[in-house]
Amino acid sequence: MQWEDQAAVSVRGVVRRFGKKTALGGVDLEVRPGEIHALLGPNGAGKTTLTRIICGLVDPEVGTVHRSGTVGLVPSGDRTLYLRISGRENLIFFGRLNGLRTRAAKRRADDLLDAVGLAEAAKIPVGRYSHGMQKRLSVARALLTNPSLLLVDEATHDLDPAGAVQVRRLVEELAERGTAVLWTTQRVEEIRGFAHNVSFLLGGTVCFVGTVAELIARAPSQRYAVSIRNGNPAHAPDAARLQLALGIAASISAGPDGPGHFLLEPAPSHAFGSAIVRLAEAGFVVTACRQETAEIESAFLALTAEVAA
Amino acid sequence: MSALRETAKVSAFMRRDLRIMLSYRMAAAGELAGMAGQAIAFSFVARLIDPSRLPIYGGTHANYLEFVVIGIAMNMVVIMMLHQLATAIRNEQLAGTLESLLVTPTRLATIQTGSAAFQLLFIPLRMGLFVGILGIVFGLDYHVSGLLPSIAILLGFIPFLWGLGLLSAGAILTFKRGNGLLMTGGTVLGLASGALFPLTLFPAWVRTISQANPLAISISGIREALIGGAAWTSVGTDMLELVPLAIVALALGAIVFRWALRRERRLGTLGLY
Repeated sequence: MQWEDQAAVSVRGVVRRFGKKTALGGVDLEVRPGEIHALLGPNGAGKTTLTRIICGLVDPEVGTVHRSGTVGLVPSGDRTLYLRISGRENLIFFGRLNGLRTRAAKRRADDLLDAVGLAEAAKIPVGRYSHGMQKRLSVARALLTNPSLLLVDEATHDLDPAGAVQVRRLVEELAERGTAVLWTTQRVEEIRGFAHNVSFLLGGTVCFVGTVAELIARAPSQRYAVSIRNGNPAHAPDAARLQLALGIAASISAGPDGPGHFLLEPAPSHAFGSAIVRLAEAGFVVTACRQETAEIESAFLALTAEVAA
Repeated sequence: MSALRETAKVSAFMRRDLRIMLSYRMAAAGELAGMAGQAIAFSFVARLIDPSRLPIYGGTHANYLEFVVIGIAMNMVVIMMLHQLATAIRNEQLAGTLESLLVTPTRLATIQTGSAAFQLLFIPLRMGLFVGILGIVFGLDYHVSGLLPSIAILLGFIPFLWGLGLLSAGAILTFKRGNGLLMTGGTVLGLASGALFPLTLFPAWVRTISQANPLAISISGIREALIGGAAWTSVGTDMLELVPLAIVALALGAIVFRWALRRERRLGTLGLY
């Protein structure tokens, strides 16, 4: 069997309860080398429990977890490092706990600090690092053992966009070199163009597995919040007149922000632009518009609603 | 081989804790200043106390300051070490670093030992320094020949303390809070040890119990060595009393700690606090 065919981690029928609450109710999951697999789900879906089971912190009650090599964990918390000592000292310490001798741990720490762009901050106490720097150090720590599987739990939830991009880029580079990545997140939009596959976890069960494109296909058509006026300020447009102008191109209803504000949803066969053109032709002026929900977020919500129903 | 590898990891914890301690220089200085203040207060109390009411060491009555400084130092060793041993895992939980440690191939027993190891070495050193400095400043008549026997007695006492620490650590893992238990344990041990005043002031039944109190045995042995100049003569007897108590405490502590650990793993609550 080729190494590409072997899963870096294979989870089969894992069940875990905490008291009467079922955190995971028979979960299957597989991540292959070089794959970035996003684990998506709302709060309390069981993502962190699954991550903790995969890295051996919690035992499953039923089911099996098979790992083909070492596991590196980037935990979700922002205080998982020793803040009083330097980044280098943190890596040396964890390197030694991973079985490296002092000299080898120092060498590895220096290499990794360089790799994550923290070489210049190596001797600064971690407490003085920004969130982004701490997260990069956390990634470096997870790489001390050259893991075949990297578990990243909510890595970007407290990072600014630039910091989040840096961490994702770092993880992408690792995946390109063959590391399997399980990326747990609630920031649904960040998986676009980043994750190869997605598992959607809800209420302790996997309710969707597929590519990001397949997930987006589950999204309902897009809605836009639009502000509209007509030529006569005395007669603000109403939804019925607007719908007449739109025809089958889109459906429109009153928005939550009061008169002049509407929610417009293009029909599946029509683009948003064609709806705007029809409104303009009927003498209405669209003064503002914004996409109400993003596609992946819509899919997230649709899936959540489907399972709840 | 695996045991050797685990033991080697303890030095990594010590390096970490040394660095962390160095980042808190003022705190260590403040602690020493506090103890010095306590000793100064006792130097005034000493003026009120008639030495003839104190026990006889090496044929002579010690003065109260000579007597009490050893008691204060040993009491501090007990309180600080017990706290360190019992809360090592808890502190990692609170700091948020426990799960990062548990992901490494390191046994929890090693994490517990490693997290306390530096303080186990450093606290007796600090207390020794405290006794030495006060001895010089107040001109206390300690016998230098009693230094090594005192260290030997301390080494015989530490395993007992370790056992007690494991017991408390198990309780803290289970109940998440254990400061009350620690305080009670420390106070009972300290009260019935003759650390601050002679055991002869207690009722007979307390004196009987204190004969089996390892802290009382250790303090008495160290006073015999440092104040009475007994050198090695009574160390053997003290050890014969301390070692069985240490074995019982260590065995009991290890059983409770393992049980608590297994329970936490089963419940999946090891990282919670």
